[in-house]
Amino acid sequence: MTSTPTDVRRSPAPTLVTSRERRKKKPPSLKRARTFYLFVAPWVLGFVGLTVFPLGYAFWLSLTDSDGLSPRTHFVGFDNYLEVFRDPLTLSSLGRTGLFALITVPLSILAGLLLAVMLNQPIRGRGLLRGLIYLPAVVPPVGAALTFRLIFDRDAGAANGILSGLGSNPITWLVDPNVRYVLYALVLWGCGGSMIISLAGLQDIPKELQEAALVDGASYWQSFTRITVPLLSPVILFQVITGIIGSLQSFAPLLLSSGTLSGAGTVPQGNYLYMIHVFAQYFSAARFGYASAMLWLLFGVILLVTLVILKVSARTVFYTVEPEGRR
Amino acid sequence: MTTTTPGLSRRRFLAIGGAVAASTAGGALAVGCSPASSTNTPVATGSGSSAKGVVTVMSQAGEFGPKEAKAASQTLGLTVKTVEYDLTKLTAMLASGNPPDVVRGMGATDTPYLAARQVAEDLDPYFAKSSLIKADDIDPVNDLWRFDGQKQGAGPRYGFAKDYSQDAMLWYNSALFDAAKVAHPSSAEPLPFDELLDLGQRLTKRQGAKVSVYGLNPNGLSVFITLCGMTASAGGKVLADDLASVDLSSPEALRAVTWYLDYAKAGIGPTVLNPDPNGWDGPTFQAGRMAIATDGYWFGGLFGTDAKNAKLAHLLPAPQFGTGQRISPCYGATGLWMPKAGKNKDAAWAVMEWFLAGAPAKARAAGGWGIPPLKSLQKLMPQTQPFQKEAYQVQMAEQKHFSVMSFTPFARLDAIDGIIGRELPKAIKGTSSAAQFADAVTKQVNEQLADGKKRLR
Repeated sequence: MTSTPTDVRRSPAPTLVTSRERRKKKPPSLKRARTFYLFVAPWVLGFVGLTVFPLGYAFWLSLTDSDGLSPRTHFVGFDNYLEVFRDPLTLSSLGRTGLFALITVPLSILAGLLLAVMLNQPIRGRGLLRGLIYLPAVVPPVGAALTFRLIFDRDAGAANGILSGLGSNPITWLVDPNVRYVLYALVLWGCGGSMIISLAGLQDIPKELQEAALVDGASYWQSFTRITVPLLSPVILFQVITGIIGSLQSFAPLLLSSGTLSGAGTVPQGNYLYMIHVFAQYFSAARFGYASAMLWLLFGVILLVTLVILKVSARTVFYTVEPEGRR
Repeated sequence: MTTTTPGLSRRRFLAIGGAVAASTAGGALAVGCSPASSTNTPVATGSGSSAKGVVTVMSQAGEFGPKEAKAASQTLGLTVKTVEYDLTKLTAMLASGNPPDVVRGMGATDTPYLAARQVAEDLDPYFAKSSLIKADDIDPVNDLWRFDGQKQGAGPRYGFAKDYSQDAMLWYNSALFDAAKVAHPSSAEPLPFDELLDLGQRLTKRQGAKVSVYGLNPNGLSVFITLCGMTASAGGKVLADDLASVDLSSPEALRAVTWYLDYAKAGIGPTVLNPDPNGWDGPTFQAGRMAIATDGYWFGGLFGTDAKNAKLAHLLPAPQFGTGQRISPCYGATGLWMPKAGKNKDAAWAVMEWFLAGAPAKARAAGGWGIPPLKSLQKLMPQTQPFQKEAYQVQMAEQKHFSVMSFTPFARLDAIDGIIGRELPKAIKGTSSAAQFADAVTKQVNEQLADGKKRLR
């Protein structure tokens, strides 16, 4: 009698695995990697298609004399880059932009920090105050710039209305040399954004440290400078870097608060910063190649400034968690 | 009818890529590069043509807005969309190879630039077959939309004026003259520029240091063009015959520059140092805050429905330097053109033709909004109200002195005005003289023109 197939007791599976089976049984780490790449693929594709490739194309443009319209485009090598260093208007606007960043970034951070410290105290209505101060930061830059333009108009603006009520002569706010002060005011008006970041940083600082310092006899100022500021330094570093990048790229508020959309040529000299000059080169002078070279130069400047700040900050910024993840 | 719709070619893809690149690097600027070429074969159509599809018109809301788009759609059986005119947006759209089908433009200053770069479509074949626009009905002002590669006024027609004016003419507010006890100027004889400046000073009203009434605004459409017109009145010219260089340091041009600086220093009207917050003369004049405005006949369209100002507004001839050569130029000849890279040209032409010669053109003519660019429509210019009758007579007398000035194909007007805008404050404040201002502008504009010429090689 022969046993039916169901009766057959199979021996344990052989240890030899075919290549097909090997393909089926992937190590868990590889599976995870595949899932990871699948999930990040949309972003990677977008990044390559909408950032890397266009940046490369803009670099190619910067090597040409393209005007964006003409069918005649000539390769000019690095002429545009060399011209950037010869063009007095480019250099002066870059210098003016640097000065703008040097003034507005610290002022904005300090104002934000001061407000954050004040509104971190247990005072009545602080939620409302926080909201009110943060409100300008959520107003679109275009709206803010146009509002400032109306406020500081020479003949019809509220600022001169108040001044004339006090018996003072009207001031031409929107032309040189006063126009830069209007711009600084516009930037500082939005310091609620900086306040919110500093406030978040302040609330992350353990209260015990400050209380211990006070018990040990430290004054409030000592506690602030020796404990609060060091613990807040990564937050300040973040604000410095993002603030400088934003300042170097400032554009819409400048154009709208003191010039007109019809052209960058209407922006007063005091507000004629680098991006306004880039705009003028693109759309008034139709020098796409040169303007692209200017943008690449700006990218280089931003990269350099950021690297320098990061290098310098290594000695001054205090991390409770090391950047590499070590405690 | 042959109309091809180009797909996403390699070149166009690259161009769009460039646009995105620049906006990434610049944060706000969308640019790109694409030659505006097309394989379309122009085929003319009349109104009520069989042209179909979507037509995008880039214009100003007050000229060709949603209301006009709806009317065009209903009349022509097309879908017409509008985009608000914006040079930045237009440049980006042209550069990315995705332009509007019909675009607003100033024939006087745009035509050479667009034609030299082969951006604008040659409309001659369309005009040749038009049922609404006949060759012998076309007003000579439309020649500003022609360019043969060397000079303006000859060669293919790249666009057509919707209306035009002799833009150096003046409008004055008689109530402000009466209030200042200043006699009304003659509408038969042009004011000498020196007298105009004097009038401006006498008519300016101040409250402390604040100007409540501008005595005069001579700026017109652009400071550079204004200086060109004034120089021509002084018997000279700013732009060289080859359109490749300018000279603001000639005695005639310096006369114009000096006059303008005297005006600006007097603080009697809008300048780059004290811009009119309204951005243009219309609201300021209507509010009784501008005594004399440099705006041509079209400005009268504002008062057709403004009973108060209709009693106060009067048109005057263009002021002169009194050199014996009386000129009265057209600085704009604003109208429509068609990008060469447009995708639906037959339909675009149908819309253009309707707007330029159909019902809207008749309505514009009857409303007093500029002189119709078709002779047959000029009889519709309004003469019902007293101010309209007076303006019509002044305008008809002025037509004898009509003149045009060629513009350069090597730079945009914005770029030249940008240079002037940078140099003017120093000259107005007195830190640079009129001669220094003229030299600085001449040098920088010539550099721009040389660069533009090099790129067109």
